Amino acid sequence: MITKLDRPPAQALPADGGLPARRAVVRWAWRLFRREWRQQLLILALIALAVAATIIGSAVATNTPQPANFGFGTAQDLATFQGSSPSLASQIASLQQRFGRSEVIENQTFTIPGSINSYQLRAENPQGPFSQPMLSLVSGNFPTGPGQVAVTSGVASDFNLKIGDLWHQGGTVRRVVGIVENPQSLLDEFALVAPGQVKAPSQVSVLFDAPGVSPHSIGPGVLTPQSVAGNALNPETISIAGLVLGMLLIALVSIGGFTVLAQRRLRSLGMLEALGATDKNVGLVVRANGGVVGLVGAVVGAVVGLVVWLAYRPSLEQSAHHMIGMFALPWLVIVLAMVLAVVATYFAASRPARSIARIPIVAALSGRPAPPRQIHRSAIPGIVCFVVAFLLLGYAGAGSGARPRTPELALGIVALVPGVILLSPFCLSVMARLGQRAPIAIRLPLRDLARYRARSGSALAAISLGILIAVIISLVSAARYSNVLDYAGPNLASNQINLYTPNGPYGQENLGPTQSGPSSASQLIRMRKTADAIAASLGSHDVVELETTSASLNHNAPGRNWSGPIYVATPQLLRSFGIKASEVDPNADILTMRPGLSGTSEMQLTYDSGGGVSAGPGQGPGRGTSASCTAKNGCFPNPVIEEVGALPSGTSAPNTVITEHAVHALGLQATIAGWLIESPSPPTAAQITNARQTATTANLTIETKNSAPSSSQIIDWATVFGIGLALGILAMSVGLIRSETAGDLRILAATGASSRTRRTLTAVTAGALGLLGAVLGTVAGYIGVIGYIRSNAENGGIAALGAVPVGNLLLILVGMPLIAAAVGWLLAGRQPSAMTHQLLE
Amino acid sequence: MSMLELRKISKVYGQGASEVQALHEIDLWVDPGSLVAVMGASGSGKSTLLTIAGSLEAPTSGEVVVGGALLSEMSRNDQARMRRRSIGYVFQDYNLLAGLTSVENVSLPLELDGVSAKKARAAGMAALDELGLADRASHYPDELSGGERQRVSIARAVVGDRQLLLADEPSGALDSTNGEAVMRMILGACKRGVAAVVVTHDAQLASWAERVVFLRDGRVVDQTMSPPSPESLLQPAPHS
Repeated sequence: MITKLDRPPAQALPADGGLPARRAVVRWAWRLFRREWRQQLLILALIALAVAATIIGSAVATNTPQPANFGFGTAQDLATFQGSSPSLASQIASLQQRFGRSEVIENQTFTIPGSINSYQLRAENPQGPFSQPMLSLVSGNFPTGPGQVAVTSGVASDFNLKIGDLWHQGGTVRRVVGIVENPQSLLDEFALVAPGQVKAPSQVSVLFDAPGVSPHSIGPGVLTPQSVAGNALNPETISIAGLVLGMLLIALVSIGGFTVLAQRRLRSLGMLEALGATDKNVGLVVRANGGVVGLVGAVVGAVVGLVVWLAYRPSLEQSAHHMIGMFALPWLVIVLAMVLAVVATYFAASRPARSIARIPIVAALSGRPAPPRQIHRSAIPGIVCFVVAFLLLGYAGAGSGARPRTPELALGIVALVPGVILLSPFCLSVMARLGQRAPIAIRLPLRDLARYRARSGSALAAISLGILIAVIISLVSAARYSNVLDYAGPNLASNQINLYTPNGPYGQENLGPTQSGPSSASQLIRMRKTADAIAASLGSHDVVELETTSASLNHNAPGRNWSGPIYVATPQLLRSFGIKASEVDPNADILTMRPGLSGTSEMQLTYDSGGGVSAGPGQGPGRGTSASCTAKNGCFPNPVIEEVGALPSGTSAPNTVITEHAVHALGLQATIAGWLIESPSPPTAAQITNARQTATTANLTIETKNSAPSSSQIIDWATVFGIGLALGILAMSVGLIRSETAGDLRILAATGASSRTRRTLTAVTAGALGLLGAVLGTVAGYIGVIGYIRSNAENGGIAALGAVPVGNLLLILVGMPLIAAAVGWLLAGRQPSAMTHQLLE
Repeated sequence: MSMLELRKISKVYGQGASEVQALHEIDLWVDPGSLVAVMGASGSGKSTLLTIAGSLEAPTSGEVVVGGALLSEMSRNDQARMRRRSIGYVFQDYNLLAGLTSVENVSLPLELDGVSAKKARAAGMAALDELGLADRASHYPDELSGGERQRVSIARAVVGDRQLLLADEPSGALDSTNGEAVMRMILGACKRGVAAVVVTHDAQLASWAERVVFLRDGRVVDQTMSPPSPESLLQPAPHS
């Protein structure tokens, strides 16, 4: 013989060749990956992107909130006492006697003049046994004696202090000796003094360790980091949920990719079987390839994610307002992301692995893929999943108040996913049947989608899931923002500034008992002049006086109640928004821009009737029967509400006002609450700082536009996300699906089909998948949201879905398929490179 | 005992109107050390005969016996093991696996059979060395010429203790010089005791075989002993 081999008898070896055989085929899979990784670039990129995004997203999500030991330092227990408690000393002594080592931190809160913010005068030992993670020196020194203070940079800025300055604070003069910060909260604004230097602490914290002792058994104000945390939906959990969903999408997309790749290697796999490889060995080649793709993608994604994290960390520290360790990462999530990447691709490759192993060897050797199996796909399993999801979400929505039943909510959303996956092949069959009478260039791709629905079905499911996410976000946002009672959204327009008097809705009087009594006429004149000065500094003369009364609205029915200020519709206010007096119903009690408020039943106007019943903004007198709403107890039922679209929409702007007619009829007293300034352009940060400093001089508080997104912003972003995801999946899937029918394309080209025909084939494939994905995702989204919200009285029930984001849904249902078809048309049309069969090498 | 026996082998593809009788009660036996050529027009069933003989597909009826073992009584895994241990294939377009070097291609059947990578590689190197390809051992298929690829393919077919070599148009993609070289190698393997069946269109190459079987429409229409081979002409004439 040509070679004699000393090997064990056949009976001594496993039938499938055992470890050496597995190692050989895995090695071959690895070599193939190295040779053909470009053909798998899309899946690789998806995996890498998903892992990188998970690392960055989870790192940001877990590091943005305050650290778990915030306020505890290195201690395991924190006891908090009122500074005015007469038994304070004995309580602290008791703790020290019982648990030994402890540290006392005293705080006294002061308001920063002209701001709604405050700072603390804090007595803390920089060398204390527990508090060191909560205190670090930026520059200078820590205070060591009675006449010294170190301040945070925020306090230094607010009071224009620098090291060496003398600071008159709370009747005491101290020299600033350093700049300090709380690494766990850069928003923690305080002035640090030596222990014992806070004369009248409003709050005293004691840090200590009480291992094994329940905090409740120690006292009512005792906490541990564990008792403060405890939210199951923490950032890590949310990251993992997002990761699982993302990997599911990738796995669905990858199935098509691995199938096409396996078919390209069909002759090689046939040869492997001809050489004596078992079905298991052949399947292992495809699975190993999937695993390798997942592994390489996971490693690349991890490297990219870590590099981006290291670059982004300093910025996050600034925005999260606390210091973040370089490797303070959610390692569990990262490891899980990498493992899931490998598992997802391995299992995505398993389906084509099984199919390939079933192909007869001779057919494989000749490169003939098995003809697609004509499987009847019933819609019933998918519909059952949708019904289950609908019921579960309905049960979740019926939870108490605004808080849903979380497990049912999660299960309901999860049940939508198999529903979409199971219905996808059915939808493809329906589409193919609908296209039976269409021209060949349309009929053929639709039929191919249905014939090869094992691949196109998974792609359709992935597209639908992307759209499903976008639709759910859009509908929930639209429903929440359409609530006319608990109005949500940005507080003001970007060019608006509210100035509040101390007794205005957000004035200092409402923030704490620092001052009392209404402002005098002379004070109001001074405030008005200050408001005018601030307006002038912003280039505006448009200063609208905001008057308020004790009146508020109350919704005497289940669900959310009224929120927001109600100012008086003075002629000046109406005029400033272009509303003529003649346009207002003389009998109207309330004018509002909140659409739908006029049609809301069970509304009551509550006010201070002089008997002590008073309703502040957003605080109704409580819900009772309509009969209990009488003038005697300060309640006016069913006020006449007129909708006036010209009023501003911000939650802090006068979006709802009480008419002078109602003020007079109810005998209400109007007081000046502040002024609304509208500048020609949004003020800069420097202008806002100047405005605040100016406001301080007149005891005014300012409010500028916050960062809360508007409904349209959320819905637009969700739409862009959904369409982007769907188009991305389409870009990856269509090429793979069309390559499966490359033989047909070659025949068409050989028989003289023009590039227009070839373009139409691809455009119809992309457009049909896009349209079906949009429809299926939208339907699934509506089923989920209707299921949840129909039983959720807190959010307005099914009526809350009246606000349909028509434009966005049209963009998804019409725009996205058209874009997909157009891109498919543009990118297709190239003549097939080879008209003959593909060689093995 | 014959190394390969085909007993009344029939093969039918398709059903009803599309039914095609590819082979019709074929009987064939190949003894150890003998070379049988199968000739016939396209569609005569040559390749089908070879794939059935090599357990790549099952006959519709009849029995295949390889090395005394009845294939129909074997499980798929046992058939795979039979291919690993006893049967080697040579195809017209080589069918070397891209991504594996020459020696890895050759040693692959051994590794699939559970032989350690080190032993398999040594055996593969020996096989390549015997065919004059030791210096091409670490080259990938796309770095080899057509003739070299087919020689690697033959090395893979005979590595280990293979007793049956099945070649489907082994010289079909080669020029006449390389074609003859390939046939010489197959004949060399036969001289070492390997039973070989070669499907070919080329009557000149078929003349290398001891026996030529002619197929037409799935039936054996003729069998003949081969004329003296070119090599036999070079041998000294027997003393009279």
